[in-house]
Formats: sequence, structure tokens, C-alpha cells
Amino acid sequence: MKPARVAALATLLLLVVSPAAAFTVRDMLGREVTLAAPPQRIVSLVPSVTEIVFALGGEARLVGRTDFCDYPAAAQATPSVGGMVNPNLETLVTLKPDLVFATDEGNREDTVRQLARLRIPVYLVHANRVAETLDLITRVGAMTERQAEVPRVSGEMLRRIEAVRKAVAPFPRRRVLYVLWPDPLIVPGRESMLTELIEIAGGASITATDGEAYPRFSLEAAVARAPEVIILADHSTGASTAGRSAPDKWKRLTSVPAVQAGRLYSADLSILHRYGPRVPDGIEMLARFIHPEAFR
Amino acid sequence: MSAASRLALALGILGAVLLVVIALALFVGSAGLSPRAVARALAGRAGAESIESIVTLQLRLPRVVAAVLAGGALAVAGVAFQGLTRNPLAEPAVLGVSSGAAFGVVLAQISGLQLSFLEVLGVATFAFAGALLAAAAVYMIAAVPGGLSIQTLLLAGVIVGIFFTSAITVLISIMDYNRLGGVIYWLLGNLAPIPATSLALFAALALGGSWLILRSARELNLLALGEEAAVQLGVDVTRLKRRVFTAAALLTGSVVAFTGPIGFVGLVVPHVLRGILGQDNRLLVPTALVGGGAFLLAADTLARNIVAPAELSVGVITSFCGAPFFVYLLRTRYRATL
Amino acid sequence: MAPLVEFTGVGFGYPRPEREREGGFSVTDVSFAIEAGEIFGVIGPNSAGKTTLLRLLTRVVSADRGEIRLAGRVIAPLAHAELARQIAVVPQEAPRPFPFTVEQLVLMGRYPHGPGRYFETDEDQTLARAAMAATGVLELAGLPLEQLSGGERQRAMLARALAQQPKLLVLDEPTSHLDLRYQLETAALLRRVNAEQGTTVLLVSHDLDLAAEVCDRLLLLDRGRVARVGPPTTVLERSLLERVFRCPVAVDLNPTSGRPLVRVAWPSGRAPRQGGDQSSPSAQGSRSEGSR
Repeated sequence: MKPARVAALATLLLLVVSPAAAFTVRDMLGREVTLAAPPQRIVSLVPSVTEIVFALGGEARLVGRTDFCDYPAAAQATPSVGGMVNPNLETLVTLKPDLVFATDEGNREDTVRQLARLRIPVYLVHANRVAETLDLITRVGAMTERQAEVPRVSGEMLRRIEAVRKAVAPFPRRRVLYVLWPDPLIVPGRESMLTELIEIAGGASITATDGEAYPRFSLEAAVARAPEVIILADHSTGASTAGRSAPDKWKRLTSVPAVQAGRLYSADLSILHRYGPRVPDGIEMLARFIHPEAFR
Repeated sequence: MSAASRLALALGILGAVLLVVIALALFVGSAGLSPRAVARALAGRAGAESIESIVTLQLRLPRVVAAVLAGGALAVAGVAFQGLTRNPLAEPAVLGVSSGAAFGVVLAQISGLQLSFLEVLGVATFAFAGALLAAAAVYMIAAVPGGLSIQTLLLAGVIVGIFFTSAITVLISIMDYNRLGGVIYWLLGNLAPIPATSLALFAALALGGSWLILRSARELNLLALGEEAAVQLGVDVTRLKRRVFTAAALLTGSVVAFTGPIGFVGLVVPHVLRGILGQDNRLLVPTALVGGGAFLLAADTLARNIVAPAELSVGVITSFCGAPFFVYLLRTRYRATL
Repeated sequence: MAPLVEFTGVGFGYPRPEREREGGFSVTDVSFAIEAGEIFGVIGPNSAGKTTLLRLLTRVVSADRGEIRLAGRVIAPLAHAELARQIAVVPQEAPRPFPFTVEQLVLMGRYPHGPGRYFETDEDQTLARAAMAATGVLELAGLPLEQLSGGERQRAMLARALAQQPKLLVLDEPTSHLDLRYQLETAALLRRVNAEQGTTVLLVSHDLDLAAEVCDRLLLLDRGRVARVGPPTTVLERSLLERVFRCPVAVDLNPTSGRPLVRVAWPSGRAPRQGGDQSSPSAQGSRSEGSR
């Protein structure tokens, strides 16, 4: 072997072995993620993370997203690798990412394993609480080297959340039923962030202690718990009306206080189910449903 | 032309078709690689970290191998079941084995059970258990003193299949909303790059099972004479049925374990081959192995590219082709035998 | 010379409902022998146990009692393939559905002589063709069996059995679905095969005329037991037949062949005008009337 090649090989080995150049972090599931340097080409398989990246102004480093990463509008310019459940690995690989953001709630484990086999570092995220969302923002800031923006974004979020808390504080908590899906009835449980959002907005989710993230629930039990406000998630997207909430079905349940008082509302799904900078938007919307009197 | 030379010719032609489909699958894809780049990667002359190497050797090639193995295994299992039940409409899924395996996988996903040392094979192990459980159930229901009753076998297969499908529905209904997408996606049947060790295991199972059935091909022909007549010709009918049944169940189970339930390959491919080659299982089994591989690979290549960069599940393509085909068969050719 | 087939004290009963017969056995204490080179017939009413005997001989079922020998060897420990090299069975009906051609069917008969082989040898092909020629179906070789007429199908099935090159050819009700012409053909074919190749033939039939004409010796089964074994003239005796078949019977002699001709004695007013026919009840009746 030529001396020049030997030298090159040696340098390479040193670089690989040398810890100083390594960039090791722990992701939100406690896994160690090792990179050679802060990532420059990030693919986000998580719509919430995409939102955060844009909020922090780190979109220059974002080279790929999913079809569901639809906010902000500027995100459309970033190439998509397909769905969350079935991203196209070839497209993803062609983007030459040095880091992929994925979640254990929405992406498949198999995808994560495939990426690991392709030796593409994967950073797993998981956020079910407002606090975890703020943590996530900090982490994304670190990974995109936009730490400077984090206080601004987080601070804004906290301010708005506080404002809502103050606004609804004088009023008694209202029992809230959130309907993710009407038939079968799917509601937010212990692990769902929605439970906390409702709580911040001055409500008390009647399904707060049931199941994990989004369990099935019996309509009878829901009725028996006499919610005062019913919020129906609106799954319709743009042109299609499929999945639009149907308040008429609920109007038959005349024993329920919410129905008697006419407190049935339709909520935009994408705001309430993302753990990103729009969390305050969701909280404010919920607060207006639960305590309209606080915002007159 | 003797049967042996017909077989050689058929294999030669199907082999050529398979090679063409393999080439197509390797050269076409979302990554938009030039044929020269792919060729470089295949020859090993591209850098190990280069895009063409990664896409061609780590994504496309394993997927191609998986597709060929799965398609061949399913087609051979189809020939086996059809010979066993003397019914050309019998399908691997008819045994309920696919459903049993699928149930195993869903159960694994629900319980979050990850046997760490079987990390990659953890779910596959569950699929196997489910497949063999279903096969054993069908066997026990259909076994009468003296052997496997073929009519009861068909019915038992349908019932066991329904049972496990319902069980899957129960699991889905109590499953968390977030996991739902992944499970439903899997149930459609997808081919994805499989790691080398798993692929080796899959190959061993697919080829081993196919070999068992190949060895029984001549006896399967004799089964058409009727069981009593076959016994009188010297065929050990009980052992034959057991051997073919187990091998076909193993083939079906392994495909479901590694790729999820994919339907209709075991129906379409044997039928087309029968139209060309006739009923002799000695010709059908080896050609089904090659033809099935080509068929599924072609379907998968279509699924991968037809709405690129999104991907369709290959099970969708085979069902879309297979279901109308099944109806056509039912209405035209096989009315008399039903 | 030892007999080709020997049944000694054989008893067998099917499990479950069919057991509800007198004695509880399908065949009881059956003993007889078939000599090599003869044409042997088994006759008797339905459910007398004729098909059971066949099944016992080919070990589709195993005897509960007694011993069955083939060429001097007890068949119980023999492998089915071994039995198949010596015994070929032509079943009553062609299997349905049967998607193979005549040639493929006949080639199946070669299986016992090379069960380990994947494809048949050239020798197998030659023997198959010879068998097809012997039964006159060679020109139908490439046709699917299902496209053949009843008689042609039967001949194809026979060809398959001949291709097995058996020592013993067994036929289960060979003429039950055939036209008169084919009945004649079948009988002639059997005689020829027996004469030319020395193949022993075992025939199970409820066609007593065929049995009488073709067979050297007969076995009459009565409810699972041997009623009589012997040449047709001995076995086809009127009082015996009437007892076994439980109906009035007339036995004439075929003037051409000298073999017995059995027929049902039809009742009332149809007494034949032949002399020597003392068995018809009307004749008896008129006689008894006349004797008043």
C-alpha cells in the first residue's frame, strides 16, 4: 500500500476513534444517538418536529419531511419521503440524511430498525405533556444549533399558556368530553396530552384516568359522567368531508348537560394533536369552548 | 416431448423471465439511479457508502430476494394445497394459517413483547407460533382415524381462518390508536428489505419447504386417483398428506412472518401454469417456485413505483388482481366441480 | 404349487355403525385360496362383504383375525408398494374429477416399480404403451380421461392396472356401468390377458352371468361368510343361490359354453315353456293345483 494511502487510513481511523469529534446525545426514549458532528441534513418523520424546526428557523438543515408535515406552509417546499407509517426508504436514503427524527407514536418500529441497519442515526421523540413539548423544543434546538431561538419560542408558549390559565382561573372546572372518534368512541386517556390541555384550559376531561393514550370508551359510561362540554375532533381535510364531526348524533343524548346547554364544538385535529409551537393555539381554542365567558 | 424436457424448457423460460423482472426491480425505483450507477453498485465498484450502493445493495437487493422467496413459497404452497384437496381453488390462506400467523404478529405488537436476543426475529417468532397453532388446529379438527379428511380440511381451514381474523379484530379494537396505523399497514402485506440473517433463515425455510413438496410431487399426482386407489398403488397416503400439509403450512407461515399476509399468489400462479403445462405436479412445483417469484416481484415493483414516491402495499396489488381472477375462475371453469 | 392367494380364518369388522350386523363382523372366518393363473370370481348379494375382501387383500384395511398370504408370504407386514408390485386393482369407477390424460393415468401404474423416481423411465413408457395397446386405448393416449366414453374409460383403467405388471389383477365390478357390448369386450379382454400373460384374475361382481362365463372358480359370500367355493356349476346351484340371495332363482345351462345361466325366477303367469324347468313357482303351482 502506498504511504499516502496508509496516512489517509490512519487519519480516518483516528477520526473514527477520537471521542472529541463525536456528538453523542440521548434521545427522548433514552437511547444514545451518536453523530460525527451536529447534523446538517435532517429528515423529520414527525409533523410536530417539522413545525418546531421551522419555528426555530432551522429549516435550512431540513432536507426531508412526511406528507403529513403540512405546517407551516413553507414546509411544502421540503421534499417529502412519503407517509409516517410507510416512508419511502429509497427517497429517504437519496436525501443523504445524517439524522432522522422519528417517534414511537406514529412511525413504525420496523422503519426505525431499517434506518439503524442503514446506519442512519435516528432520534426518537415522545411528548405527552406540555413540559415534554418544551423539552422537545430545547432538544431540537440543540440538534439544529438554533439554541438561541429556544427561549423566544418557549417563552412565547409559556406566556400564552399562563394567560389562558389566568383567564379561566376564576371559573369552576367544567367536565369535558373530548371525542377523538365517535364510533367506536375513542377518547383521550391518561397518556394523552389532550388531558393536560383540557386541564389547562379550565376543564376536567371525564376520561382523564382511563386507559393509556387513546382508548375505546363506552358511550354509556361517557353519558353517565355527564360532561358539560363536548368537543368533537374534526378529521375532515380540505375537500373531503369524511370524518367531519356529526353533532346531530350527539343531540339525541338529551340527558347530558352539554347537550342541554348546546355546548357541542368541533375542533381542528391538527392543532390539538401536535406537540409543537401550536400547543397554545390548541389550548386557547379549548379554553374558548370550555369557558367562553372568560373571553368576552 | 418427454415430461423431463418440458420441465427443463419451462424452467428455462421462467428463469429468463425471472431474471428480467429482477433486473427491472433492481434498476427501477424512487431513488432515480441511472442504470450505470446500479450496475456499478452490483459489481461492487461503487463506494460502500455511496447512494447507489446503499439503495441497490441494502434496499433493493434484499427486497428483491425477499419477493422472489415469498412469491415462490406462496405459489408452491398453493400447488400443494390444491393437490392435497383436489380443488384448484384452494389457497394457502384457505388453511387459516395466514390468519394464525397474522394474529401472532398483532399479538406481539400489542403486548410490546420484545425478546431482546431475538430482537429482529421477535415478531417473526410470534408469527410462526401463530401459523403453527392454526395449522395444528386445522389438522386436529380434520384428522379422522386413518388420516386427514380432505373435505373437513377445507372447512376447518375456513373456520380457523375466520377465528383468527376475528381474534385480530378483537386485538385491534383494544389496541391503542397510535399503534393502529402500523398494524393495519402490516396486515396489508408488504415487502421490505430484510436483514441478511433473517433473509438467510427465510431462504432456508422457503427452499426447505419447497423441497419437501417437490419430493412429494409424484405422489400428489397419484392422490387424484382417490385415496384408496393411491394406497393400492403403494402410496403411504397418511404420511403424504401429513408431510405436504406441514410443509405447505410452514411455507405459508414463514412468508407471513417475514412479509405479512399476501394473498392470491397461491391461486393465480398455479392456475396460469396449469393452463400451460397441464396438471402434473412434478412440473407445477418447480415452475411455481420460479414463476411465483417472478410474479410477486413484478407486483412489488409495480407497487413500489406506480405512485412514487408513495408506495402501495404489494398485498393490495395481488388482491386487486387476484380477487377478480378468483371470481372469473369460479364462474367459468370450476362451476362443475363445486 | 402353492396358491397365489390364501385366506385363512379371516375376520374383519368395520368400526362404528356398520357393525350393527349379525355377529358384528363384516366378514367372518373366511378361508379360500386362489390358484395362480386362474380366473377367480367373488359373488354374493350386496353388503355380503365382497368389496371388503378386496380391501383386505390390498390392505386398505387390516384383518382383525386370521391370515392372508400372497405367494406364500403373509401380507400384514408387507409395505404397500410391495403389495402394489404384485396386485393391481381396477376400481369400479374412474375417479372424479380426474384432470389427467389417458397416458398419464396409465403411467401412474408404473409407480410401484420405482417409487423413488421423479420421472418415469423409458422402460416405463414402453410398458405403458404396451398396456394401452393391449386394451385398445393407445390412440386415445393424449386425451383427458374425462373426455372418454364409459367403456373407453374402463379400458384405460384396465390399461393402468396392466401397466403395473401384476401377478394378480383385481377387478371390482368391472361391468356395472357398461353397455352390453362393453361387457362382452371386457370379458374377452380378461380372458386374453389371463391366457397370454398368465395373470391371475380376481373378479368381484354381482353380474352372475359374467362370473359364470369368465371364471374358472367362484366364491359365494353370504353375509360375510363363505357359502361355497368351487367351479361355477358347483357354486351356482339353485337351492344354494335361493338361500343366499333370498329370492326365487332359475339356473339354466348355456348351450354354447356349457356354463350355468342364472336368472331371477319372475313370479306369476310367466312360466317359460321350456322343459325341465321345475323351479318356477307357477309351474309348481299349476302342478300342485293339478294334483288336487
